[in-house]
Order: sequence, then C-alpha cells, then structure tokens
Amino acid sequence: MTAIARMALLDLRTVAPYRRQGLVLLGLVVLLFANKSAVALVPALVLLVTSQIAAYPFLVADKAGLETLYAVLPLPRRSVLYGHYAWATASFLGTAAVGTALAVVLARVEAVPFGEHTLVTVLAVSWALFAVNVAIQFPLFIRFGYSRISVVGTTVPLAAVTLAVVRLHLTMTSIETWVPLLWPAGVAALVISATVAMTADHRRVR
Amino acid sequence: MSSDLAFALRGVSTTVGSNFALRDVSFQLPTGYVMGLIGANGAGKTTTIRCLLGMRPVETGEIELLGHRVPGPVSLRQDVGVVLDHTYLVGDWRLAEVERTLRPFYDRWDGARYRQLLDEFGLDLRAKVKDLSRGMAVKLTITVALSHHARLLVLDEPTSGLDPVTRDELSGIIGDFLIDEGHSVLFSTHITSDLDHIGDYLTLIHDGRIVRTGTKDEILEAYRVVRGGPDDLTESAGAHLIGVRRTSTAAQALVRTEEAGLLGGDVLVEAPTLEEIAVHVGAGSRSRRGAGRHQPEPSLSTGEIK
Repeated sequence: MTAIARMALLDLRTVAPYRRQGLVLLGLVVLLFANKSAVALVPALVLLVTSQIAAYPFLVADKAGLETLYAVLPLPRRSVLYGHYAWATASFLGTAAVGTALAVVLARVEAVPFGEHTLVTVLAVSWALFAVNVAIQFPLFIRFGYSRISVVGTTVPLAAVTLAVVRLHLTMTSIETWVPLLWPAGVAALVISATVAMTADHRRVR
Repeated sequence: MSSDLAFALRGVSTTVGSNFALRDVSFQLPTGYVMGLIGANGAGKTTTIRCLLGMRPVETGEIELLGHRVPGPVSLRQDVGVVLDHTYLVGDWRLAEVERTLRPFYDRWDGARYRQLLDEFGLDLRAKVKDLSRGMAVKLTITVALSHHARLLVLDEPTSGLDPVTRDELSGIIGDFLIDEGHSVLFSTHITSDLDHIGDYLTLIHDGRIVRTGTKDEILEAYRVVRGGPDDLTESAGAHLIGVRRTSTAAQALVRTEEAGLLGGDVLVEAPTLEEIAVHVGAGSRSRRGAGRHQPEPSLSTGEIK
C-alpha cells in the first residue's frame, strides 16, 4: 500500500466513528429529493454529503490534535496532503455510486426519463461541483486549520458555483456543451489545489 | 554522524513567534541512557523536542537523530516513539481501532505486544480514547511506542498531572524499556523527582538557552546551595548567585561549586537536590514576570555548557 493510500485509509478511520451522522445526512438528502427530482439527487448528494465527508477529517484533526499524529507517523508530509485529496476523491466516487443507483431507482419509480445521456451529464456536473468545492476548501483548511476557516471554506465554494451559474447562464441544457470539459477541468482544479496546498502548508519543514 | 549517539543538537537556534527563541542549544545523549530535560514551563523544552523530531525548522545549527541528520528520512520515525502530555489520537477510537489504524504505518508493528502491554497496564481494547484518564492515556501512547519497537522514546512532560503511583509505574516502564542497550530515552519534565532514579544525563534549559548539560552526578556536583542571613549573600565576594531568594530573615541561592568558598564563613553551604537546582535556575524567568521575590541569575550563558 502506498503512503498516500495509507493516509486516505487513516482519513477513513478518522471519520468512521461518526458514520451514523453521515448516514443520517445521506437519508435526509435522499428523503428531501425523493419527491422532487431524481436527476438532482446525485449533485445534491455530492454538494451536501460528500462535501461534509471529505472535509470531516480536518474537523476531527483539529479537535483531536491529529496534526501531531501525522508528524509522528512515518509518513512524508506530501503524502498527508495528497492523502486528504485521495480520501475526498474516494468519498466522491462512493457517494456518486450510491447516488446514481438511488437516482436510477427513483426515476424508474417516478417513470421519469433518466437515460445514459442524462446520467453522464449529471455525473460530470457533480464531479465539477465536487472539484470546485475541494479545490477551494482544502488549501484553506491546510493553511489555517478547519476551525478558523470553516465558514469561509463553505461559503466561498458556494459563491463561486453560484457566480458561475449566473454569469455563464448555465442550465441543464446549456451545460451539456460543457460536459466534455468538466472531467478534465475538475482533475486540473484538484491538481492545482494540491500544489497550492503544498506551498501554503505552514507545517512543512523544509 | 556518530552512531553511538541517540541524538545530538549542535548550536540549534529557532524563533517562536515574537517573544521566544531557542538560542544556540547544544546537548547530546549517548545510546542506551536516559536524559532528563529540565526547565520551568515556557523554558523551551517542547520547542527543543519539536526541533529534534523535525517538526519545527531550525534557523541555525544541526541535529543528529539515531545517526541521521534531521530532517532525515521518513523511515527514521519508525525508530522513534513520541509520548506527549496530551493524546494525539481520535477520542472516539476504541483501543482496538487505534491498533488497526496505526499498524499499516509501521514495518515492525507487533500486535501481540500491543495487546499484551494494554493488558499489563489494565487498559481495555474496547475502551474509547476519550474515556481514558490522563495516566491511562500516557500508558496508551507508551504502548503504541513500544509496539512498533522504537529505539528512542521521547517523552514531553508525560508525568504532569499524574499521581505518584502512576509516575512510579512510568519509571518502571522506562526501566524495562532500557533493558535493551540500544534503547534511549529523552524525558522532559519540570518534576525533577521523576529523574531521581532513572535519569543518567541531565540538561537544564532556561529561557531558550542550555544552562548546563552532563551526567546527573556532574550536574549535582556542579552547584551548591548557600543559605545565610539577608546580608550574607552578596556578589561582592565574587560568587555568582543564581536565583537568589530573600525574605526579611534569610536568603538562599545557588552558586557554582568552585565559587562557594568565596562567600563568608557565616554562609551555610550544602549539596543541592535536583529540585533546588531547577528552582533556582528557573527563578529568573518567574522574577521577570513579577510573580515573586526571586532575583534572576545575571547571565546564564553558553559559557555554562560543558
């Protein structure tokens, strides 16, 4: 197992004791969207659940002093940072898989058309939302700590997404032209974010 | 790099914020021994340890740890066990989860030893970290350190807040750890009695500077406590009085052994305890904060370092 994978696993174990809260949140979002829109379920899950799960290790780390643990463990600092991104990406994939399965079932129940084309668009939009959120939040969490920046870290990504929707006049139809770009753009955002996080990391010992 | 040293700091300086700095810190520990790092709160013990462990960058000087220059290879951390005055584990982890979480990081993790030590210390695998008492939490972090077969234990104020029985148990644990000649311990504390039985070497730190370092016997032999009337203790005789404490009827100070004879015959000269040395050496910082009637030692420079 690589150091980054070990760190991602440490993030999983860090949030594991709080899995009930995560499941409650997941259930609430599903209930909320079950009667509204099967199509919106996946991005809603990504925005409301994945963003919480991905950032939760930072919250627990702040409370439990895990930065000291990271410094004591035989683990390069860059693996700690990249491991957080790996954990976030894994949590996106997990939530997207669960959300997609639920959305397909809901669409069947509601007799709403939810074909392959819609699914691709919805997943690409969800990925972009996830990437923007993480790309903005993580360098801030790493630089300042979760507690000091959580409000800014939550509002800035939301503001960025809202601004993009308004300025670019985005609708589900118009966004389809962007779909081929959303996947690589999301990857690029995460790579740039991880690089910024490495530079901004005040715990790095040069 | 010398392989017979557990660690060495040579001329290390670093600035912490705008109010504190380690200045020209130098001391070393041969492999197989226990070093006590003694200083008052805020003297620089934790900063020194953070520099030693590579958690904090140094501005000047060099650090050697288990034969490697710091910051060294990440694999060096396989050989170092760190015990702090607080736990750095998730409070909601059960002790079984602590093992499952940490095991993948250590090449020599010994699960059987982890469970055996928990059993010896009376810790339940099902207990949560947040439910452990302070003493139990210290035992847990020592258990983790011993379970990955660390060669160097670094303990930062592990006994503060512990009852005497638990502190005595801790001494026993360290004694057992040292049965292996390749094992060494750095033990920072402001409770000097912790080091009465297990300390081989001592380093006195005050206000970010090393006052003196050497074997315990050398340190005890280096100073004398002098007591007399309020007017008996003056520096006019040429003796450098360290941490003078005066009341209306008496005065007490620490002096270097070779200077004790310079004081008059009315002065009582006695061998100090470790605690007396720590109290007088640390008195300067408290006096500057206005909390007592101590007179700070005029200069505790690196000239004191052996």
